[in-house]
Amino acid sequence: MIPPDRDLSYSEARSNADDVELLRRIGDADEAALGALYDQWSHALYSLVLNLVRDPDEAEDIVEETFWQAWRHAGSYEPSRGAVSTWLLTIGRRNALDRLRARKRHRDHPRSRGTTFVDTPSAANAHDTDLAERYERVRSSLRGLPAEQRDLLEMGYFDGIGQAEIAEVTGLPMETVRTRVRLAMQKLREPLSTQRP
Amino acid sequence: MSRLGHDEASAELEAVALDSAAPDVRDAVRAHASACPECGPELAAMEETVATLGHLVEISRLNRGRSAGIRSRLVMRARAERETRSAPGIGRPDLTRGVASLTGLGHKATPSAQRAVTGEVKRFTPAHTADAVAAQTNVPSKALNWYAIAATVALIATAVQLVRVSADKREVAGWLAATDTLAPVADSLEATLRRKEAIVAAISGPDVVVLPLTNRTAQRPLGRVMWNRSSNDWVMLTYGLRQPGEGMMYQVWLVTDNTHIPAGSFRPDTNGNAVMHVKHDLQRAVLRAITVTEEPERGVTSPTGPVVAGGAA
Repeated sequence: MIPPDRDLSYSEARSNADDVELLRRIGDADEAALGALYDQWSHALYSLVLNLVRDPDEAEDIVEETFWQAWRHAGSYEPSRGAVSTWLLTIGRRNALDRLRARKRHRDHPRSRGTTFVDTPSAANAHDTDLAERYERVRSSLRGLPAEQRDLLEMGYFDGIGQAEIAEVTGLPMETVRTRVRLAMQKLREPLSTQRP
Repeated sequence: MSRLGHDEASAELEAVALDSAAPDVRDAVRAHASACPECGPELAAMEETVATLGHLVEISRLNRGRSAGIRSRLVMRARAERETRSAPGIGRPDLTRGVASLTGLGHKATPSAQRAVTGEVKRFTPAHTADAVAAQTNVPSKALNWYAIAATVALIATAVQLVRVSADKREVAGWLAATDTLAPVADSLEATLRRKEAIVAAISGPDVVVLPLTNRTAQRPLGRVMWNRSSNDWVMLTYGLRQPGEGMMYQVWLVTDNTHIPAGSFRPDTNGNAVMHVKHDLQRAVLRAITVTEEPERGVTSPTGPVVAGGAA
């Protein structure tokens, strides 16, 4: 039932290779590996989706849905495209954005406004020192973004709205939105292109 | 959307990477990128960047009790699916077999010798050897009558037990059908069905004990816990529980002589109904009681709130 309280400071030595091995076992229908992967990444995934949907109950649903998809589709993970945790977060974010869009369709729910990336290291998800360093470099680039670029990037990231809608909301010309988002993305990519996981 | 030219597709790469493009635009851009030596790597790099951003958000802790519930459901679903995959055929559990094993009655696969309860039947039992038949003929007829009466009483008692167990199973099936608390958002109805089947399977074993839940003021039972001591599955049903207070939930505890072991948390539906299925290894002799307390949503490691229901082992 409730596992022993885990140290969320993530001090344990762990690498993406461990997660890859868990995914391999999940592919072999080993439910214990699914539990282990959940123990490892449920908090990080919950953090991301909660920042998107802003509803703890819905965020928990998405966490469960995402790990179930990981169970079902473990074979689709490609190590060359990033860490297992990144793959999980990508699936979770997509699920969260689907929920946000459904809300908008049905209730014209206000967007999550004001949600931003965190500028200071949180120690989260830093099981792997290489990955931690990599995230820190991206975070550093994020801090260096001009506010007008970062704002638009965060609107796109956390709200999942298209550039046309961003232009409508902000009153900026569409081309300006596009250019600012592109510039932001280019700056964030730079540290990633210098080192692969 | 029809095929996009290079410039059009290139202009949409960020939106696709951010997963904020319209589906038709996204598909058209991906189709272009899959064949474009410039847009393909560009899109892949942008998607990697977006994926990495997922690690840079404010960290929030999942409630421990609820997290344990999610974990248990996932593992149970995974196990049920694995077992279904490896089974020779996919279908609902054979409840007849479960009832049979609970009551001691045989089912179709049971050798007829085990089903025989009267001398009349035994005459047609192929399992009997000539010696056994000879021995049987030497039994005095009066004693034979007593055996027949005793066997009949045993048969009646077993039949009564069968009716009770069948009623329990119907009740559980009714609860499973009525409650929605077990189906957060599954990716398919099939998965939900398998989860519920796993619960039925868990309570159908031969070593299931049932603990009624109640409290001092309750006019009727508030629920029951079924503990399959062979597989260590725990299935709890509640009915008519009041809603926990704002920011609160119910937490379940396995009580032993020395400690209260947290066993998951739940929030009943609007009718006060809930179903919870978890696995927890526990030695048979150490359980003293099960209690349900009202606790803060973040979960606690030992009970702090009022007991809303409980049952002695």
